[in-house]
Amino acid sequence: MAEPELLLDSNIRLWVVLPIVFITFLVGVIRHYVSILLQSDKKLTLEQVSDSQVLIRSRILRENGKYIPKQSFLMRKFYFNNQEDGFFKKTKRKVVPPSPMTDPSMLTDMMKGNVTNVLPMILIGGWINWTFSGFVTTKVPFPLTLRFKPMLQQGIELLSLDASWVSSASWYFLNVFGLRSMYSLILGQDNGADQSRIMQEQMSGAAMAMPADTNKAFKAEWEALELTDHQWALESVEEELMSRELDLDGMFTAE
Amino acid sequence: MRDKLRKWREDNHRNSEQIVDVAEELINEHASKLGDDIWIIYEQVMIAALDCSRDDLAWTCLQELKKQFPGSQRVKRLGGMRLEALEKYEEAGKQYDSILQEDPTNTAARKRKISILKAQGKNTDAIRELNEYLELFVGDQEAWHELSDLYINEHDYGKAAFCLEELMMTNPHNHLYCEQYAEVKYTQGGLENLELSRKYFAQALKLNNRNMRALFGLYMSASHIAASPKVNAAVKKANVKYAAWAANQINRAYQLAGRGTKENKCSVKAVEEMLESMQITMS
Repeated sequence: MAEPELLLDSNIRLWVVLPIVFITFLVGVIRHYVSILLQSDKKLTLEQVSDSQVLIRSRILRENGKYIPKQSFLMRKFYFNNQEDGFFKKTKRKVVPPSPMTDPSMLTDMMKGNVTNVLPMILIGGWINWTFSGFVTTKVPFPLTLRFKPMLQQGIELLSLDASWVSSASWYFLNVFGLRSMYSLILGQDNGADQSRIMQEQMSGAAMAMPADTNKAFKAEWEALELTDHQWALESVEEELMSRELDLDGMFTAE
Repeated sequence: MRDKLRKWREDNHRNSEQIVDVAEELINEHASKLGDDIWIIYEQVMIAALDCSRDDLAWTCLQELKKQFPGSQRVKRLGGMRLEALEKYEEAGKQYDSILQEDPTNTAARKRKISILKAQGKNTDAIRELNEYLELFVGDQEAWHELSDLYINEHDYGKAAFCLEELMMTNPHNHLYCEQYAEVKYTQGGLENLELSRKYFAQALKLNNRNMRALFGLYMSASHIAASPKVNAAVKKANVKYAAWAANQINRAYQLAGRGTKENKCSVKAVEEMLESMQITMS
């Protein structure tokens, strides 16, 4: 059954909808720059750098080992995978998972993240709710059930109003998530205003590169290296080369 | 003008004299117009000035950089390089040590320390330090190449071959590494090494058809194997075939080079005679 359409005062559009968009956007940009200012340097330890390079070398050995002679390949494989002596078997890194409470730098990072992102959102959300309350702001284009009413229609006390009509607070939240793609356009990828991504990171657990990973990474490399075989790419290289004349074009320029 | 400097910077050209000529004028007259580029230009010019022994220019660049970026490790490294250029090696070493205390992962400072040893002629020490460096930073290709050069200077061809293998693995399409490896193997001598060298010369040619050095190398290694008394007939025949093919290609190349002019026709003949003389006669 078609609901009679509510006609909203165009002043609402002018003085509510657009200001909220601007406010959200500007707050996002400011947050981005503040996060850049507050960013602490990530110091890599010597061990981490060295380990990452060793992993790269082992991976290259697996992929491109076919270009070096068989003996050299075996020599390197032996160095990495030998039962008693091999690098991957021998080195065990000290595993200290950085729990947020004990690792001071992570603690400050988390705090900074919280302050820059969550706090403004709460403050401004509350302020907008207080300022722009008591009227309907906009209508979402899809029908919603009645359960959404108390959430989306904060200041409006009409029982019969369709749940699709929402208040300004919900418009603000819509903006926060919607302007994310705008931020990537304007500020480039990986910007500090990208709130939902930060919340995702917080939810998926502590640091991404945990030290326990190094041991696991070593084990994975060991297995992969055990499986690789040496197929010498240069077996029949002379025959291939001599099957046709050399292409000597452009080697000498006329003087 | 600054585009040229940028191009030289990105291509790692070491045309220090040109840079110094261009730069003096550039800095004196257009300093304000260069904007933020000026700092990296100062760095580029300073290194070029050190190369040309222009200490005065290097000093001014260093002062400007120090004013702008006090306490920066990059600037400290440049200061260390200036001390190296003035042959004050101990002070330079101390400067680099202080950088490393602040930041143990700084590869530039470590490499400069090794180059101090090399400049003083202490090859064995440099080799030892470079080995330790490479244990920590296995992925540094410049360092592997440097180590292979040092080993070649010390005539330790086996270890040089190891370093070049690392380089070949990381850059499988670079024909120059293949060719250098093949040359090292050829110098080592012995039947297997000659065979390996022949294969790698062929690989280098396959990667780049115009590598004349690899072509000559192929000819030499193939004829050397063919002339060796230890091979059986089939191998000898195959190698003679390879050598003949290589000679053919060399002739073709020189003929292409000598299209037209009379003098070049004589050079083709010279090449043929040279090839015959290079034929290692059977003992």
